Amino acid sequence: MSRLQLEIKQLIIDALGLEDIAPEDIVADEPLFGDGLGLDSVDALELGLAIQKRFGIRIDAEAKDTRKHFANVDSLTAFVEANRPAVA
Amino acid sequence: MNWTPLQELLLEAPADALAALPELTRDRLRERALALAGALQARRITRLAVHLDDAGDLAIALLGAWRAGVRVLLPADLRPASRQRLAQHVDAWLSDAAGDLRITDLQGNPLPAAALDLDFEGLVLCTSGSTGAPKLIAKQLRQLANEVATLEALWGAELGSACVIGSVSAQHIYGLLFRVLWPLCAGRPFLRQAQPFPEDLQQASLVRPAFCWVASPALLKRMGDNLDWPALSAVRRVFSSGGPLPDDAARQLERRLGQAPTQIYGSSETGGVAWRQADDYWQPFAGVELSQDAEGALRIASPCLPNGHVEQTADAAELQSDGRFRLLGRLDRIVKLEEKRISLPMLEQALAGHAFVSEARLGVIQDNRAYLGALVALSAEGLHALRNGGRRALIQALRQHLGRYCEALALPRRWRLLLELPGNAQGKLPQTEVDALLQAPRTLGPDCLKRHPDDAGGWLLELRVPPDLAHFGGHFPATPVLPGVVQIDWALGLARELMDLPSRFRGMEVLKFQQLARPGDRLALALRYDQARGKLYFAYRNGETPCSSGRILLGE
Repeated sequence: MSRLQLEIKQLIIDALGLEDIAPEDIVADEPLFGDGLGLDSVDALELGLAIQKRFGIRIDAEAKDTRKHFANVDSLTAFVEANRPAVA
Repeated sequence: MNWTPLQELLLEAPADALAALPELTRDRLRERALALAGALQARRITRLAVHLDDAGDLAIALLGAWRAGVRVLLPADLRPASRQRLAQHVDAWLSDAAGDLRITDLQGNPLPAAALDLDFEGLVLCTSGSTGAPKLIAKQLRQLANEVATLEALWGAELGSACVIGSVSAQHIYGLLFRVLWPLCAGRPFLRQAQPFPEDLQQASLVRPAFCWVASPALLKRMGDNLDWPALSAVRRVFSSGGPLPDDAARQLERRLGQAPTQIYGSSETGGVAWRQADDYWQPFAGVELSQDAEGALRIASPCLPNGHVEQTADAAELQSDGRFRLLGRLDRIVKLEEKRISLPMLEQALAGHAFVSEARLGVIQDNRAYLGALVALSAEGLHALRNGGRRALIQALRQHLGRYCEALALPRRWRLLLELPGNAQGKLPQTEVDALLQAPRTLGPDCLKRHPDDAGGWLLELRVPPDLAHFGGHFPATPVLPGVVQIDWALGLARELMDLPSRFRGMEVLKFQQLARPGDRLALALRYDQARGKLYFAYRNGETPCSSGRILLGE
């Protein structure tokens, strides 16, 4: 698990108040929403805000299908990596 | 804009009039509704449950069913338990789910166009009742017609031909009226799909020459800086309903859009009651008459209720002499999470129906989002499951069980496991205490049941290992065991409460751990302090079996 991936999993756990879930319980290529973790569209909204805030990035509101980045941890990690401001 | 009264929607439609987007003209909608009416009649269906995401299809289904004299029931979801509860009230299910009728299956010989009967009780809404049983609310078409006429009189002129874009489902009264029936009667186009995400809402909006939003607090309080607010400020009006919009979210929207959201107060039972915009006070809609019962809860009479009916709500309010009012909160155990109405008694009964649970109480926890917390008294079977499978597996089983009764959003996220629920002097557990217990972190100490001095100058204590001790989280996830270091810590801490001991910890000797202590175990703890040697003797027993013992060395 990359450091960024671990950070994103921990962010999901903290932002959404998930009890009894450890980062290793979130499978990176399994859907975040729907049955698995029991997350819903409000969690998707919360997660969108948390990701933008934590990593200082903006979800491009004009791009098509912005929500597909939130499908699973892998896609979120790729999205953050691609949009993260370069660290000095 | 040409207003068409609800009962005349299936009569001749104005040529080329657009009803919904993607393209559905009024003519086409009318044809499809009349064909659906014919199909329902041919199948001798008189009570139809409808659950459709596409608001255009929903409009066709409603108008077609009403033309055929078919009562439409709108379930909030398609869960097995919901279907089972409603089974006796419906002949058929129309939805996008496998096994149900599809809207494309219902194309029969069209019935002739005719006006709808306003006295027909054509709509049945399903919601959660405070007893735990689901509640069915029947509406005459007249009530719905009065709702939309009121809205049009207030805001029709300024909305003009703005496209109506919704973030909420049309299965509920608010979405149904604001996203579907009102625009249909007003000849205003509406978007068929709901847009629950801010970016999609923006994209759908900015391609329209004029637009308005039918939104919910769940969305409005979570819209970020990444949106094009200057462009979005062209929105003609922002409606918010389903639950309270926090004041700071309303103010932030006002700063960004140059317009405060228009909040609507109402419910499935009452229909629309009042509205407000940048104001603490609610303005009743035309024709609404308010009164209060002895507890201060609102009572409502209105053109959107059956004639002569006064609807008793559970909303406490403060009425002003000018007719406006402030809401003070609910008086029953119905809560709203992100505008979804949830009956705590229903979920508590469902939880108590699981073999692991003897009793359960629920409360709301306010975090980034509001969610439920569960206080669960375990049954003997539940305790056994906890001891042998761990907390997580137990809670997973309970969540799965509850998932048959409610949406994911209502599944408790915080759990506190107990052997029995506490009660006050009257044997009741007030909600404030439930909430306090859920707020508190998981316990770190033992439940101390008894303590008395022994003959030798020491103490005998009777302890119970709490089932939900925080230490069990990592020790071990699937087989919770009381860690040895915690046993020593408890012994020293309890001894300090009872005896005057030197403050410095100097070490330990002859530590023995003979038997595991597990959640729910009742332990006897013997404590004796040998002042001359500066040694605290401790010994835990479980019944006749020694668990652990040792000496803690203390000094100044």
